[in-house]
Amino acid sequence: MNSREKLIQRTMDVHREITQAGLRRRDLLKMGLLSAGTGMLLPIQGLSLRAAHADTSCPVPGVEIKSPVTRPWVEELPRLVEKQTVLNNDLGSFNCGKGGDLPGPTPCGTLIGGDSKIRLCAENPAMETATPLRDLGHQGWGQAGILGNQAPKKWYEMRAKQFNHVWHKDMPAGAAGQPAWGFDGVLPGPMFRTRYGESHFTRIHNDLPAQNLGFGINQITTHMHNLHSPSESDGNPLYTNYSGHYYDYHYPNVYAGVNQYGGIGNPNEALGTLWYHDHQLDFTSQNVYAGLAGMNTIYDAHDIYADSTMGDYGDETKGWRLPAGSPTAAIPYEFDVGLVFHDRQFDPRGVDYFPLACFDGAIGDKYTVNGKIQPYMPVKARKYRFRMLAMGPSRTYNWVLNNGASFVVIANDGNLLPAPVLVKSFWQTTAERFDVIMDFSKFKPGTEIILINQAEQVNGRGPTGKLLGAAGGAQVLKFIVQSSATQVVDDSRIPAKLRPLPYMGDMPVSKVREWKFDRAGGEWTVNGLPYDRDSIRAEIPEGSAEQWNIINGGGSWMHPVHIHYEEHRYLSYNGTAPEPLAAGRKDVIRLDANAKCNIYMRFRDYKGIYPMHCHNVVHEDHAMMIMWKIV
Amino acid sequence: MDKNRRGFFGSGLGLGLAPLILAGNANALTAEEAERPMSRPARNGMLPNVPLVTHNGEKVRFYDDLIRDKTVLLNFMLVQCTDGLCPTAAANLRKVQDLLGERMGKDVFFYSITLEPKKDTPNILKEYAANFDAKPGWTFLTGKPADIETLRRGLGFVDWDPLRDKDLSNHVGMARYGNDKLERWGGVSLRSSPENIASTFKWLTQV
Repeated sequence: MNSREKLIQRTMDVHREITQAGLRRRDLLKMGLLSAGTGMLLPIQGLSLRAAHADTSCPVPGVEIKSPVTRPWVEELPRLVEKQTVLNNDLGSFNCGKGGDLPGPTPCGTLIGGDSKIRLCAENPAMETATPLRDLGHQGWGQAGILGNQAPKKWYEMRAKQFNHVWHKDMPAGAAGQPAWGFDGVLPGPMFRTRYGESHFTRIHNDLPAQNLGFGINQITTHMHNLHSPSESDGNPLYTNYSGHYYDYHYPNVYAGVNQYGGIGNPNEALGTLWYHDHQLDFTSQNVYAGLAGMNTIYDAHDIYADSTMGDYGDETKGWRLPAGSPTAAIPYEFDVGLVFHDRQFDPRGVDYFPLACFDGAIGDKYTVNGKIQPYMPVKARKYRFRMLAMGPSRTYNWVLNNGASFVVIANDGNLLPAPVLVKSFWQTTAERFDVIMDFSKFKPGTEIILINQAEQVNGRGPTGKLLGAAGGAQVLKFIVQSSATQVVDDSRIPAKLRPLPYMGDMPVSKVREWKFDRAGGEWTVNGLPYDRDSIRAEIPEGSAEQWNIINGGGSWMHPVHIHYEEHRYLSYNGTAPEPLAAGRKDVIRLDANAKCNIYMRFRDYKGIYPMHCHNVVHEDHAMMIMWKIV
Repeated sequence: MDKNRRGFFGSGLGLGLAPLILAGNANALTAEEAERPMSRPARNGMLPNVPLVTHNGEKVRFYDDLIRDKTVLLNFMLVQCTDGLCPTAAANLRKVQDLLGERMGKDVFFYSITLEPKKDTPNILKEYAANFDAKPGWTFLTGKPADIETLRRGLGFVDWDPLRDKDLSNHVGMARYGNDKLERWGGVSLRSSPENIASTFKWLTQV
């Protein structure tokens, strides 16, 4: 602690004591702290936060604001909680909540049968203008045609709420933890395992309190990032789910191209690793930072074998034989592990800190994985599939292993590549997902392997571009290879070929649009304009393809651009072909300073509005977003 | 003296405070502040309690008098704005105050703070306010340049690039809006529609 930090710390202690003790003017007078003449406290060092605090809105993590010291590799990596359906997958088990008082034949509205009306909060006047959706049905209801589904097959219920979370046992809060927000009372939220041809339904209750964590808002909208999801279930920033209410999401789990190819679409459009997170207008960064995010996977007959007769999941002797593990084992899907990377900042006392007035972005000096600071993970001597998610709000990673081993990257943004790519290191920016296979059978029991972020980044504007190397980088996660008395079973393989890329020639580009991500008037803009809810910036006919040229307007800013709903392919990245890792289908563009990316996109199947925005969500909240519409 | 306060004195817990009774010097905290704790964003330095002067010549404290427990919209402006953005913002806010109707001055307050406090005196701001039909609840503010600078930096109306930071037009496009009591703070573009700006207050006060 330097002298200024000490002063801040001491001043905050004093304030807390005055507050907790309920001291009033006369008490302070008695204590000789108050001047009767001026009504001011006597000029005593350490009483004024105004003096103690720097006037900067973006304190540099680890330098101008420091989290308490915590020991690495003390906390074990928690596995994401496996999401279960409602009891017996039975609709009668649904909890209506306050939002259940809607007209309909059953207490919970009319979920059963063919009625698929959106359940919104009709009693909330604020929604009348924001979400003119109440008379719409869920698109794609019963669309999993080849299976004869008339309604979703899996029914889920999830609650956003406040709870106490322990980021690390060494933090001053200790085992009691401190308040956080999350789904189902865990952070990150539960892991959904779904499959193609099996539509699912999730009722998300908003049980968040009015008083927040010093940041955030108790109004949410839950975006299923990358899903080919109808607009009304996309988690659009405008479709608010107010506290004390619920919102029903219907995910058809069909491939893109249903109208183009029939059936449930083109299997080569399969998605795999997705995530869900809050997307509330102007508050996305604060609410995601508070903890409102989790993961979702979709399987099919090839990827984590799940066949059309609803057969076995995770059978490593079938399909592409990717590392999986059985859903019914003691540790379900033991070898298919979600890793959520999220950096955080705490004040010197260990209290959660979010730079509310910093428009650049928010990074922290503590690296967490699945909600724990620098955890370790015991692993068996066999292959694992890790689904790595950079949750943000604003950090970009460059991953490397301390022993120089390679990563076998099989998917970018959740989509299996045409073939695995072997790399010693790779970049991952906010919201990107990478699936990697790591084989621990090569190492002796007791071997420790550390995952390191070697990208230098000192503020929310983006990485400096400098690589610090394995020795100079930040240690994030440690794998420890376990010994085993019995033979470790590993039926999984690393296939030479994975999912082919969809053919683009059958839908030629009908229009070229240009989108420039820039800054003007102290705010973030797209084509010179900040976000405006009353403006739809592009109307695109269903069943057409377009070329979008995405441009960084300059400065030293990096923007991870995310387009909802349909994925894109790079036609060119800065005038050249994309690197092999980025040659597949993607939903996040790493738009480096002055970069220009030309992408190909199709707009198919469902109609409605979707956003495109910077996924440095601080930029998104300060207006770097547009709405476009499929008509 | 209630139980808490007894505990405070009795247990000797005043580790931070006790030595101060014997010490001397530095900045003052009003008794009011001591009685009414600041919100967390204020404690974190976002809302400095600097002295300011309104377009009606009243002397005020930024946090104590303008922010504490209130729902507000804050923006920076200058009367002699070269690129035309300031009048656009002010004209938009004029419409927003009409959309908010009776809430203006009751549970919603606008504060437009000049970036040129030497030029924009209370009298000039008063004229400017009249020009835009500023109703009760919309206050224009000036003050000492150093205090305005502290405020601007606390609220994050800054650009990392010193050259861009000097260009005042880079700080006038966005407004901060917030509810101090519920500790909710967001940003909205003053170039977006008046309806868009007004809608922020719907969710800002909703519990």
